[in-house]
Amino acid sequence: MITTEQLYQALKQRFGFSQFRPGQLEALTALTGGHDTLAVLPTGAGKTLIYELYGVVTQQLVLIVSPLISLMQDQVTALNVKGEKRAAALTSLMTYPEKREILRHLAAYRYLFVSPEMLSQDQVLSAFQTTQVGLLVIDEAHCISTWGPDFRPEYLLLGRIRHQLNDPLTLMATATATKQVRNDIKQKLQLPQASEIVQPVDRPNIFLNVETFEARVDKDDRLIELVSSLKKPGVIYFSSKKKANEMAELLTAKTPCSVAAYHADLDPETRFKIQQQFMQDQLDVICATSAFGMGIDKNNVRFVVHYHVPSDLESYWQEIGRAGRDGQQSVAILLYQPGDEQIAQFLSEATVPQENEIHYYFQQAAPRVAGDDKANLIWFYKQHHFSEEQVQQSFAARRDQRLTALRKMMGYVRTPACKRQYIWQYFNQTAGDDEKPVHCCSSEEPAVDFATLGLLDTPAKRQKGDPINQRSAGWQFILQQLFNLNG
Amino acid sequence: MDAQQLMLFLSPTAPRRLRVIENILVGKRTVSTLYWGMRYQQLPWLGYEKQLSRDEMNRAVADLQSRGDVKLDQTNATLTPQGIQSWQNLMQGRYQPKYFSVRLVIDTATLWQRLLLATQVVSEQSYQNHQYYPLQVTWQVKQFIKHWFHRFHRQELQAEFNTFWTVFFTQLPEQQALLMSRMLVGHQRPGETLGQIAHDFKVSESEAKVIVTDLICQLAKRISDCEADSIKSLLMGLNQPLVSASAQQTLQSYLAGTTLEKISQQRSLKLSTVREHLLEAAIMLPKGQFDFQRVLQPELVAEMEKRLAKTPLDAWQFKQVEDLPIDFWQFRLLEILRSKSTDDNH
Ligand SMILES: [Zn+2]
Repeated sequence: MITTEQLYQALKQRFGFSQFRPGQLEALTALTGGHDTLAVLPTGAGKTLIYELYGVVTQQLVLIVSPLISLMQDQVTALNVKGEKRAAALTSLMTYPEKREILRHLAAYRYLFVSPEMLSQDQVLSAFQTTQVGLLVIDEAHCISTWGPDFRPEYLLLGRIRHQLNDPLTLMATATATKQVRNDIKQKLQLPQASEIVQPVDRPNIFLNVETFEARVDKDDRLIELVSSLKKPGVIYFSSKKKANEMAELLTAKTPCSVAAYHADLDPETRFKIQQQFMQDQLDVICATSAFGMGIDKNNVRFVVHYHVPSDLESYWQEIGRAGRDGQQSVAILLYQPGDEQIAQFLSEATVPQENEIHYYFQQAAPRVAGDDKANLIWFYKQHHFSEEQVQQSFAARRDQRLTALRKMMGYVRTPACKRQYIWQYFNQTAGDDEKPVHCCSSEEPAVDFATLGLLDTPAKRQKGDPINQRSAGWQFILQQLFNLNG
Repeated sequence: MDAQQLMLFLSPTAPRRLRVIENILVGKRTVSTLYWGMRYQQLPWLGYEKQLSRDEMNRAVADLQSRGDVKLDQTNATLTPQGIQSWQNLMQGRYQPKYFSVRLVIDTATLWQRLLLATQVVSEQSYQNHQYYPLQVTWQVKQFIKHWFHRFHRQELQAEFNTFWTVFFTQLPEQQALLMSRMLVGHQRPGETLGQIAHDFKVSESEAKVIVTDLICQLAKRISDCEADSIKSLLMGLNQPLVSASAQQTLQSYLAGTTLEKISQQRSLKLSTVREHLLEAAIMLPKGQFDFQRVLQPELVAEMEKRLAKTPLDAWQFKQVEDLPIDFWQFRLLEILRSKSTDDNH
């Protein structure tokens, strides 16, 4: 039995902290007590610390199921940098011999990251069956519920896979989940009895701001103004890679800031460079797509802007959670133009097959046509012995669910009442007015002055790591810097 | 791929097949693609944009069309008079690669990954820093550099790398040296992206990519001449043959005097495949390394040439000679021979 003292000891030795953040100790205590646990902790509150520490104190294999390859690679690198060499990610980018190499030496690893698709492959699953998984972690567990049957259906197999792994102790971790989503997660993983550790979602240091525009050009002008005047660094989210590229170019041309686009189309070299420039404060603003996570924590992000309306409040909350992890005043700004919700609706419906499509694909024998996502999706269900009726029902429910989620999101945009209270309500939290920060949201302070919030950029302070300085250097200077020849 | 890049693959004197241009860039090694790639002098670009999609290609074509620079006849593109003017301006103003043929014999993309990561590792070592984010590279490259570092870390890597880069940069034009040095990654230097470099040097991203690729080709030559083992070994295993291994095998048997039918039997290949192998070899290898005369008897060649004498090579039609006792592949071989002979005379 692991004692609380041991947990504190490991926290000190491994991470150099003497205090847990809210929720961490509770989750660890539940896990070491042998209870499957659903932990809802705000972004940046250190969900990863829970399973990292669990691996340290129990010396057992921790298997983490994670949705994004880029995220997995970043997490492995982060562990490597901290000196943990026994970490790896099994991804679809690996060749067969590479995968086999890892699967043959599972005992040599403490932390293994894997996508649900990878884990449902027979060869991978049977390798894990022969070893003892100390802790199964379902990271970003809300994906099980919010992605649903139309996107990456392998998530729905996780309950069954868990049984096939001999029911290992399980941690479901997420930053955002309504009561309904929490129940859905537990039901799909067949763990109705799991303990719940739920921390309040609120981030009082983030001012919640929504601005409405009549025309696209006004919105663009405002974005340029915001990026020029706000304290950096910042992140801007777009719903398409194309728009992210375009606006990164526009902002580079129209502001004195260094701006770059960051999305799944970047080659690994470029992705690395942009990520590291941003980490080292050599890049002011990143134009990102919401589908692309960034696995490296940056504490001092001062603003998160949404150029398009996200399709649900879960994603929105997750994304603005990148702001102000250091606890300093920050701002989340949603730029809304009437009609934007149609883009969101289109994007969220595009992946859900319609009734006639489902019927059509069900009649097909084995339509594994490369590139036809919907055919492949329906094929997946046929292969896993779902009836057409079941699939029709589940997708009908899915369409309703997506619409409801978008309606709730639009409720946030439109409500003249407190935005924060709207979010509290959505995530089933109750809190009184006295718990609100002094500067709360644009419903209460419609013409908020960013100077009052201390969020205006002071141009004089751009010195260290100034990319302009670095760029005027000659190649001789760069070599001196690279190989430490200044002495 | 952007419109300007595409424009450079077109010709002011003759229509060009867009599918050939696309297939060369994607890296398809069919005989027809290779043959026309050779005629367009585009072979060094083989596999330059493996990810190129049809959509991207179509956008570039549409772009040129809407500017009035190009006319389309099905999928053949011809430059308009205005297009020829733009083409000439481009040829003068835009960077033209000089070392791309290195790409055909060395896996330069992997070499760059290795060199970039090795430079980062050595840079961090110069600062005795062990906790840093290494570049994201393929698993193979990561393993390679791990072993490489294990083997060489006791040597004066810091000095060797500094010397290597200094020598390389010194012999480059100042702008190119600066450009490449800014791509490098190391201690507290995340390096700059192609997009950032293009922006700062006021060129398009596609042109920046050509410049950098050409510089990497020069690097490959420099590395193979380098005396320091630590640097030379970065090339290990990256040489690639001009023709595929299977075609190479066919060529060996052919040069040893085996008949095509015999080769087909021995290797359980279709006769047509054996012929394609030989055509691939004839296109890719220097003229002297292929025995043209064994397939093309002098009397037959003389007869064909008589009939084709007045037709420019790219307008030759098999039907002009099809009553003679020859197959299409022999006709193609003559085209290859003719193409190589004229190019050599230039
Ligand atoms: Zn409020």
